[in-house]
Amino acid sequence: MPESAQPRPGSESERSELDGSLLLVERTDSEINQAVLQPMLRGGRNFWILVAGLGAVVAWGLYAWGYLVTWGIGTTGKNRPVYWTLFITTFVFWVGISHAGTMISAVLRLLKVDWRRPITRGAEAMTSFALMMAALYPLIHLGRVWKFYWMIPYPNGRFMWPNFQSPLMWDLVAISTYLIGSTLYLYLALIPDMAMARDHTGGWRFQLYRALALGWRGTEAEWHKLHRALGIFSVAIIPIFLSVHSIVSWDFAVTIQPRWHSTIFAPYFVVGAIYSGLAALACILVIVRRGMRLGEFLRAEHFNALGKLVMVAGMLWTYFWFAGFLVEWYGNEPVTRELIQEEIAGRLAPLFYLQMAANLIPIGLLAFRRVRSTPRLLLLAGLSVNVGMYTERLLIVVGSLQRNDIPFNWGTYRPTWVEISIVAMTFAGFALLYILFSRIVPYVPVWEIKEGRLRYSLRRIGRLLVPTAAEIE
Amino acid sequence: MALFDEGTRTAEAIDELHALGIPADKMTVMSGVPYPERALGRQVEWLRLPYIVVAGAVAGLVFGLFLAVITPHLYRLDVGGHPTVSFAPAAVIIFVFTMLATIVSTFLGVLWEMNFPEFGPKYYHEEVTDGRLAVLVEPPDELATQARELLEKHTAHPVQLAEKKPL
Amino acid sequence: MAQAAKPSAEPGRRWGLVVDLDRCTGCQACVVACQAENNVPVAGEKQAGYGRWMHWIIIHRYWEGEYPNIKARFMPVMCQQCDEAPCEPVCPVFATYHNPEGLNAQIYNRCIGTRFCGNACPYKVRTYNWFRPEFPAPLTEQLNPDVTVRSRGIMEKCTFCIQRIRRAELDARAQGREVADGEIQPACVQTCPPEALIFGDLNDPESRVSQLARSRRSFRLLEELGTDPGVIYLKGGETNA
Repeated sequence: MPESAQPRPGSESERSELDGSLLLVERTDSEINQAVLQPMLRGGRNFWILVAGLGAVVAWGLYAWGYLVTWGIGTTGKNRPVYWTLFITTFVFWVGISHAGTMISAVLRLLKVDWRRPITRGAEAMTSFALMMAALYPLIHLGRVWKFYWMIPYPNGRFMWPNFQSPLMWDLVAISTYLIGSTLYLYLALIPDMAMARDHTGGWRFQLYRALALGWRGTEAEWHKLHRALGIFSVAIIPIFLSVHSIVSWDFAVTIQPRWHSTIFAPYFVVGAIYSGLAALACILVIVRRGMRLGEFLRAEHFNALGKLVMVAGMLWTYFWFAGFLVEWYGNEPVTRELIQEEIAGRLAPLFYLQMAANLIPIGLLAFRRVRSTPRLLLLAGLSVNVGMYTERLLIVVGSLQRNDIPFNWGTYRPTWVEISIVAMTFAGFALLYILFSRIVPYVPVWEIKEGRLRYSLRRIGRLLVPTAAEIE
Repeated sequence: MALFDEGTRTAEAIDELHALGIPADKMTVMSGVPYPERALGRQVEWLRLPYIVVAGAVAGLVFGLFLAVITPHLYRLDVGGHPTVSFAPAAVIIFVFTMLATIVSTFLGVLWEMNFPEFGPKYYHEEVTDGRLAVLVEPPDELATQARELLEKHTAHPVQLAEKKPL
Repeated sequence: MAQAAKPSAEPGRRWGLVVDLDRCTGCQACVVACQAENNVPVAGEKQAGYGRWMHWIIIHRYWEGEYPNIKARFMPVMCQQCDEAPCEPVCPVFATYHNPEGLNAQIYNRCIGTRFCGNACPYKVRTYNWFRPEFPAPLTEQLNPDVTVRSRGIMEKCTFCIQRIRRAELDARAQGREVADGEIQPACVQTCPPEALIFGDLNDPESRVSQLARSRRSFRLLEELGTDPGVIYLKGGETNA
């Protein structure tokens, strides 16, 4: 391959410079294929133990859900006035996680940022699976889950349509749109890799990949059309992902519940979603890289760049949080004051300080290159962000609902085993779907990596060999 | 069908095939990597995709308008002192349905443009996904030998009669 | 002094309830009457202690002062039948909507149990069927046949005893006359021993509720939120000591 074989690094020092480059210079295309395909084929005992463990948690969660459906929402810790609790909290959390996928693949694809290439698929898969988990919660939360279809926009027997003024209707359509959009986006970019996998596997995998590749051959016309379609998708999905979390925030902000009724909620939620989503993506990449031995594709420079994005998102989150907090604190309205007091020095204080510490400390840590480019430290920072953001949602949903305009109606909330099991179920379910996905679908978008390689060449500037990009569409 | 190792030689070969008088629609280039448009000296196809997408978006907009603006009048119920239809909630619904239809029509449109799914036997070679470029030429009979010689001149791999493979 | 309640969007009646806090003794008779009239399930001590009682009327009790100079203040709070009800637009399935008589109607068999209305309501007067309601053996004999028994997973709340309103209206129509002021009595109004509750049409300037609503003592709960409630409270003297 002349592209890859052209200027080879001569000495050891130049070689080490190249370790951080964007190119997999010394690999042929077929070696890349194998490097991606082989880890998928090796099952290993640990893998199946993990699958069994996660499956057990999911099974237990399903039992808890069955228990909830049988006996009613009373089996959760909800009461009057705390009508929404862990289910909605976790719903917001998962919708938030789903945002990083689009952030990475659409925004960065549009901006032609090159380090996105190996991580787009992992990010898009995260979006789809997180949305699937999120979409469970509105169903679980109804209790009588079989009534769900009453919200689907078609008229009932009396030709009455659903209420399109309700933020829950917006939620339904926006989350369906985002789930459909992100899954199609994931799949569209997957077709060439399905063809690649088809050409190099046998047995049931061959049959599966053959079906999913839809007869892809890689003709010029096919590539051209795929590029156009991906371009349109990238543009179209960005407003969708901005709208989805805004709509989720309006579930809260349209009420006149103190601390919910806030105009900053939509951008605040979006920024928080990007923050937690990118941090979760960093964690997942670190774990998958180790589990699937993809160290060659997911390298320090990718983690470094992602870490910077997480840091910037964290700063934005801090800014939006402060902008909201300052105004509510200054306004000094009685119930808002009470809620803020509860957070700062009351019963909610442990959660509040956990939220602030777990969200703010990683921003400081990620300022260091060593933290960003060391997978283990990045994992820690990412986990911390997600703990912080989960706590933030908990404070918003449960914390605020405990107080309202009439002090006689104030309440408290204790979670029950049913709620905790169902929340655990979605975490395990997400992990289960994700690891099964990573064994069935090439985790690294092979064609995008090859494309990136095609467009780069190494150029000598002084004593350095640097990758330079070709300015082509 | 001839297999090539890289793009430059392929482009040269294609240029010469053109010079030989083989029309563009009798040549197909397959690659495992997307080559930039025009890099291989081929015409870029005109696509209907943008029109499909716009049509889809308009359809979504109309459906969203129907749901948000028409249906509340079909069975009028007053809620919370709000007007039956008002701008803000309607805008959300119309926006989301427009985007949903845009996305779905892009997907269906591109599949339709590519004639997918199509599993029937087609000319193909597995080494395409291993980084080779395959040039499939369907020359008229009188040019067949010339085309074959030309391809052999440019590539290290044996030029073979293309096989149709079930995909 | 509160501004008079706005007439409802539709021409016709706007039902209103006057609660005279100066007369209320906090005896809870209205709560029991409401429970009997409207088939409200009994939650039980444990559930009620966790904030899951189902009463449609909640007697708010506040303590004023320090022992021994302490006073109990009582305030019966039921659905305020807001004209600009925050609970209504948030329901995705129109399970709660504004009926032409200005009532905030709850349609039980449309409700899917999102509990969004419960969060949106600033008075927190909506109650939710956390479990399947149980009416142990003799209680089933006293269920009101005019009122649905709600299943679990459904929101419910004070309806101003809409079944009584309907019956009075139908009777009046059958006799070819208008419903007289004071003819309709929700269960709580009928029961209240000190006659602290008065029900009537706020759109009729001559009705007792209209006259009381114009009283110097009248106010409405959380009026500053702009919900335009149909329940009018009266509070003036120090009779509640």
